[in-house]
Amino acid sequence: MDRRQFLKQISLWSLGLTLDVPRINIVSEALAMEVQSQPLAVAKGGDYTALVARVLESLGGMKQFVRPSDKVVIKPNIGWDRNPGQAANTHPLVVKALVEHALDAGAAKVNVFDRTCNEERRCYVNSGIKQALAGIKDKRLKHFHPDNRKYIPVDIARGKAVNRLEIYKDALEADSYINVPVAKHHSLSRLTMGIKNSMGVLGGDRGQMHHNLGQKLADLATVVRPKLTVIDATRILLRNGPQGGSLQDVKVLDTLIASADPVAADAYTTTLFDLQPQEIDSTVAAFKFGLGEIDLAKVKIIHA
Amino acid sequence: MKKRKFPLNYWRRLSQIVSFILFLFLFIKTDYSGSDSIDYAVNILFRIDPLLALCAFLAAGTIITLMLPAIVTLVVTFILGRFFCGWLCPMGTLLDGCHRLVPQNNKEYGTNFRPFKYYLLVFLLMGALFGLPVAGYFDPFSILVRGLALSMYPALNSLSTDFFTFTYQQAPGWVNAITEPVYAFLKYSILPFHQKYFDLAIFSFVILLIIILFERMERRFFCRNICPLGGLLAITATKPLLRGHGGSKCDKCKNCRDICRMGAIDEERQISPLDCNLCLDCVDHCPTNKITFRFGKPLGYKPVFSLSRRSFLSAIAAGVTLPFVMKTRVIAKRPDPFLIRPPGALPEDDFLGRCVRCGECMKVCIGNALQPTFLKAGLAGMFSPVLKARLGYCEYNCTLCGQVCPTGAISELEVNKKRIVKIGHAWFDKNRCLPFAKGIPCIVCEEHCPTPDKAIKFRLAEVINSKGEKVTVKQPYVVDKLCIGCGICETKCPVPGQAAIRVTSAGESRNPSNRLPNTGVTIY
Repeated sequence: MDRRQFLKQISLWSLGLTLDVPRINIVSEALAMEVQSQPLAVAKGGDYTALVARVLESLGGMKQFVRPSDKVVIKPNIGWDRNPGQAANTHPLVVKALVEHALDAGAAKVNVFDRTCNEERRCYVNSGIKQALAGIKDKRLKHFHPDNRKYIPVDIARGKAVNRLEIYKDALEADSYINVPVAKHHSLSRLTMGIKNSMGVLGGDRGQMHHNLGQKLADLATVVRPKLTVIDATRILLRNGPQGGSLQDVKVLDTLIASADPVAADAYTTTLFDLQPQEIDSTVAAFKFGLGEIDLAKVKIIHA
Repeated sequence: MKKRKFPLNYWRRLSQIVSFILFLFLFIKTDYSGSDSIDYAVNILFRIDPLLALCAFLAAGTIITLMLPAIVTLVVTFILGRFFCGWLCPMGTLLDGCHRLVPQNNKEYGTNFRPFKYYLLVFLLMGALFGLPVAGYFDPFSILVRGLALSMYPALNSLSTDFFTFTYQQAPGWVNAITEPVYAFLKYSILPFHQKYFDLAIFSFVILLIIILFERMERRFFCRNICPLGGLLAITATKPLLRGHGGSKCDKCKNCRDICRMGAIDEERQISPLDCNLCLDCVDHCPTNKITFRFGKPLGYKPVFSLSRRSFLSAIAAGVTLPFVMKTRVIAKRPDPFLIRPPGALPEDDFLGRCVRCGECMKVCIGNALQPTFLKAGLAGMFSPVLKARLGYCEYNCTLCGQVCPTGAISELEVNKKRIVKIGHAWFDKNRCLPFAKGIPCIVCEEHCPTPDKAIKFRLAEVINSKGEKVTVKQPYVVDKLCIGCGICETKCPVPGQAAIRVTSAGESRNPSNRLPNTGVTIY
């Protein structure tokens, strides 16, 4: 798949110059070639800002994922009108630290957004993320609510369960897309982690995704492909996910997982819930697509 | 003739413009602002309205502290006459502003409808007392805010979105370099955060439009003839301390009569305090400077209401009898099951009695869940708020509607209290719900259910799906004692058209007779 050509299609479509829907057409063999075994970093500790620094360092630093003058998207989970302690959204300190690392690495732009489930403004405020990012005075950073005009339909040629999705323009155009989910319980998919977090860049009716969710998420993962996945397991939600609300359902783990391999990151995180990676449909489906490694025995795990 | 350098009516215009801008500012601020409480007294306009205050007091049978600022308006009126109508009222300002756009039809002096507003006032007060609370249908602020909130403001947003979407998609880069920052600024400053959609949008707009078109008959037609608030202020202003004195010994040019927007000046150039709204145009236009407004000086004549006793009694009779006819309607026996009131709403009769149909709760509702109802609550319940869960849901941590309600029809709840107030109950339609009807996995409702211990849970069930395959799916069900009726399940249900889960008013906290079936001991 020629990325440059795909980006050209996106800009033509969004300028109204063509009715041809941009088309992503990746071949699984090519993917498997591309995604060689990537290391996975795990760090534990109570200082979440330091955790971010530690996992990044053990993966070779943020410069491995963000090159100077890159357009960067950092996509946390800000889905719910819940506070940081309730473990429904990515921890604001983790998001803030990642943004700072991306800026330090010389990013031209850092965009932070999520399409929320509860009312947008309440989610941004209550999650603590808006306030955390407001503390960063750097014009390259933008945190905003998605603009309805900027969802672009994309044909997913290899999609098995869904062949067209509306995806946010910034996510498609990013040179470096960094996925920062929070790990938590979800009744339908059992857990929501990195691959599920990409639903936040979808436009249109996301309810439809839930019928055969695992495969559809993997289909989406062929288009929205993070350079880096950082999974926030500083505290995890064990029950009544994905929004929780009761502190009795929250377990503090003080753990952060990071990898360039989205499947391995999800697979490792699954074990924190005493589950097996094979029990999560989206992880299995993404592995079958060749998007990453599900077998943790084959993944180099660095305890940072 | 001596010309004033800075005519008096400039001050009046300045006051009108400032108060109108203030009104719009508070209107725009009637929204979530990043904090759980609203910083401004956004509902102040309704709380200084003595008509709504009086009607709410009569209906509630008690003094409502929230509405006490209305006394200020009465005191000001007692001192200055209908100063409020001329200098402050945003509806009056809107009519004055639109006047030039609606040229007048005839030049006759006044119409004969003037007593109508008093009959209407009496009818509304009687109705409020006996159970037909419809003051909000005629109150100028209610009409204005509804017109803006339910139709014009959403329309403005829709127009802007369409325009800037067009420029974004079709215009070259250099145009976007200008339009996009403009759009961003508009969104930041005056446009609403969400595009909202409302029932009765057109109806609310047309009511406002008709009032503006009435200007064609005469200036301030609404204020002179219909406005029941104006009627109440006129009664208060029968003997104001500040009185206008016309030129009884003038040159009889009658300029003052021609220009008086309220038709307050009669053949003898006497200025009736019942109608004069102190616009002061006559003072500025009198070629001999004979017109003055002074404190204390006796009026010299008795202003007349020119009411007909028969009509007056009819208005009382209508106000007294209609409420009793209302009690024979079907909804008096069995309320509409989809009449879901906002959290904190008083029991239905008290609620309607106090609700002044101002539209503030619908304006502020961040879920666009509250909609003005048409006839669901009966003829007397038009424009009162109901939750339409398919359109939007009640946000779990939000208490804004109770904060902006000017009369306490929706009581202000602490967020912890609000989270457990039950406004209705969710019911599954298993013929539509995908895991039941088609063996398709879904449970989007369960995912969104906001109670920390979810009110929607599921059971695993083995079913045959549409392809004839045996599959295991998660089938949702509602836990009665946990469901608060917020409606997010119905809003988010991915089944097209009618949702597979619907909220009704069943079990609502405010109405014990609407309680859910219970196999245990029923406790009263």
